[in-house]
Amino acid sequence: MDSTSSFTSLRADDQPRVLLIDDDEVNLMLTAIALRERGFEVFEATSGAIALEQVEQVAPDMVVLDALMPGMDGFATCSALRAMPGFAQLPVLMLTGLDDDASIERAYRAGATDFFVKSTQWSLLAGRLRYMLRASRTRVELERSKFKLARAQDLARMGSFDWKRGDNMGQLWLSPEALRVLGRNPGDHVDVRGLIRMVGASQRRGLMSMLTEVVAHNAVLATDVSVALFDGRQRIIHVEAEAEFEHGQGVGYTGVFQDVTDRRVAEDRIRHLANFDALTGLPNRRQLIWRTERALEHARRLNHNAALLLIDLDRFKNVNDTLGHAAGDELLMEVSRRLRSCVRHSEQVLEGALEAAGSRSHRTLEAVGRLGGDEFVALLPEVGDEADAQRVANRILDALRTPISVAGQECFVTASVGIAMFPRDGLSLADLMRNSDVAMYAAKSAGRNAAAAYSPHLGGRGREKIELESHLHKAIERNELVLHYQPKIDVRAAKMVGVEALMRWQRGNVLVPPGDFIPLAEETGLIVPLSEWAVKEAARQARIFQQNFGFADSIAVNLPSRLFERSDLVENIHQSVSAYGVPHKAIQLEITENNLMKDLHNVSLSLHRLNEIGVEISIDDFGTGYSSLAYLTTLPISELKIDRSFVRDLGITPQSSAVVSAIIALARSLGLRVIAEGVENLRQMEVLHRLGCGVMQGFLFSKPLPPDDLEQWLQQTVLPRKAPWIGTVSDADTTPPRVLGRA
Amino acid sequence: MNVAAAPLLSPAGNDTAGAVGGGVLDRHALDKLRELDPAGKGGLVQRVLATYTSSLARLLEQFGGARAREDMRELRHVAHTLKSSSASVGALELSALCADVERRLRDSQSDGLEPQLDAMAREGARVLAAVRATLPV
Repeated sequence: MDSTSSFTSLRADDQPRVLLIDDDEVNLMLTAIALRERGFEVFEATSGAIALEQVEQVAPDMVVLDALMPGMDGFATCSALRAMPGFAQLPVLMLTGLDDDASIERAYRAGATDFFVKSTQWSLLAGRLRYMLRASRTRVELERSKFKLARAQDLARMGSFDWKRGDNMGQLWLSPEALRVLGRNPGDHVDVRGLIRMVGASQRRGLMSMLTEVVAHNAVLATDVSVALFDGRQRIIHVEAEAEFEHGQGVGYTGVFQDVTDRRVAEDRIRHLANFDALTGLPNRRQLIWRTERALEHARRLNHNAALLLIDLDRFKNVNDTLGHAAGDELLMEVSRRLRSCVRHSEQVLEGALEAAGSRSHRTLEAVGRLGGDEFVALLPEVGDEADAQRVANRILDALRTPISVAGQECFVTASVGIAMFPRDGLSLADLMRNSDVAMYAAKSAGRNAAAAYSPHLGGRGREKIELESHLHKAIERNELVLHYQPKIDVRAAKMVGVEALMRWQRGNVLVPPGDFIPLAEETGLIVPLSEWAVKEAARQARIFQQNFGFADSIAVNLPSRLFERSDLVENIHQSVSAYGVPHKAIQLEITENNLMKDLHNVSLSLHRLNEIGVEISIDDFGTGYSSLAYLTTLPISELKIDRSFVRDLGITPQSSAVVSAIIALARSLGLRVIAEGVENLRQMEVLHRLGCGVMQGFLFSKPLPPDDLEQWLQQTVLPRKAPWIGTVSDADTTPPRVLGRA
Repeated sequence: MNVAAAPLLSPAGNDTAGAVGGGVLDRHALDKLRELDPAGKGGLVQRVLATYTSSLARLLEQFGGARAREDMRELRHVAHTLKSSSASVGALELSALCADVERRLRDSQSDGLEPQLDAMAREGARVLAAVRATLPV
């Protein structure tokens, strides 16, 4: 360590401090002067007793002591000094007479560091003192570094050893730290045989032959050995040593033992964390990728099939959402256990064995792993054909059939499995993953709880759709759905006679139009809660409009036929309007002609009951379907909405005005109101008006607006009569009688 | 610095003289002393001689007492101390006498001790007088 010297308390650059003790004042004075002249800082004492009193305060770097003094002589002073704490190592130079051998001997016995014959050769004395000081500093630093080494070794659970060649397995020396590493006390004797006995019997032979080999070549020894310490603890000891030579002959080894158990345990743990899923203990994505790549290499080399099965739990989010994440985790663990039983799952891969070509070792790659969330993968490193993979997939679906008990509830879990075959469905890991994903979504689209094998014609949009579905699921509880309102206008009176509510999905900053999610909602059944929400929201808004500007018309809500089939529809509407204190007629229901006709039988009962409580029914998109006119006469319908496609072509194709005229005539004869949708310009408006349809809806008047904007639109456009469509038609126009059921 | 002018010292630069002040102090020894203080600004030689004088006076007195009490131990200590300090200031003859006395005492050699003790006392007194004479009062 280079920094050692900077920590030393010795004043390396200062003047060395000398405590000089001599009863002869002349000598004392001369020696002091001579030493000061040579760069020493000298403190004088005329007797041993005085010196002992002063030594702690002076804190000298060394002591120069006259041997022969009256009273306490130099020897006694030196002995006394050595007995004082902190002065055991202080360099002491004893001054003796030239011919005084006995004193020299006594000086060493008293603990003097060195002796010097009194003389007036001051330079010699100074040189001797400097040498003594340097030696002392070196010695202190050596002690310090020995101490530090011992401490560092102790901290690192490390200790040194030396071994000398010889009979009976040679001779072994262990440092106290090394003994501690081995669980022994300092001073215990351990020989090579004792060390070997610590190694488990199964490893002993291998270790011995390795040691023999290393020692025979004087090679570097570096190995980890599992040992049982004397107290029974199992530890892993790292041994590292180098040969020592004398005259070119290897005479032994010097090295260290280190207890690396904690490090090895941590390394194993890190390796496990990096490769296995913490929750289920299954191989994680990284480990799966590694295994799959090995399996594909093998399959490529030996020309056989492999399969990747992507397993996704159906509607797992529902479990998490309703039972909580702890229950979700519990469920995942049980699912993991079951999935594992469906394949020849290997926890560990025998890496070395993989290299042996032609062996069956690639079988150890087979496993179920967790990609994350509720997504799992089964890797089948070798399968005969797709039917094999299909069998495993079926086994998986079967395994999940028994309900799983979590959080005190029985959960029915199903999964959708996508199968991708190597090499048929992809040569690379990425291709196989993507295609198993496509297949899995095909299984989901086909109704879930099924397996599907990849085929190139499967669409790739499945995942987005499922994601959209899962988000739409939460849209209601997150208040992401909003209703926008498009006014229905009586153009002659230039007033609003009602509004149609249109659903929008405020997804983050994006306003999703209904066309992008209503079909999905219908497909997945989400349309039911969505519609129920819409009815309730419309009732709430009707109340607000009523309070804000005396709104007394209806808000029309679009409902799918399947909602009309529900026996609780009437009750729901009743509750919704009652909750906000608005009349039943505040809600109008729109059903498309197609929907109505498809389920005419199931729907008609509801329509009657709704009509009885005052909820009016409007037929949307009229003219596009094949209405049974006979039924139309028997159903309690209030309004026909002319489909926008006819309105669009008004004034362009004669056919369109013919259809519109016919619808208006039909409505008039059945006593129904008629309203035109999709009116975008004044020409369309005028034609409609001339043909006898006076109530309209469309961008000419207003696009669907958020509730607040609707109020603003009324105040700024309709009431001041400022719009271009206002005043264009008048009572004076020669038009057929208007068809407006409501006077 | 008036040491060079002191009567017991030879004139500066006169290398030939082996001893000065009637053979009391050795010139080489004094030169060595002077080397300790080359610029002479510490008045070193004079301070040393002053210390020596008082030490010598005290030790001679101690010497007399110890002889009267026949305290061989103390006599030996006086001889030891005077031996080295006298050598330092160049009182070589006195130093040699002290060394002889110290050796005889250490070896318990009583034959011929008395005349040597007398000689030591005499030489001591002579050195004291000579050195005192050089010091300013």
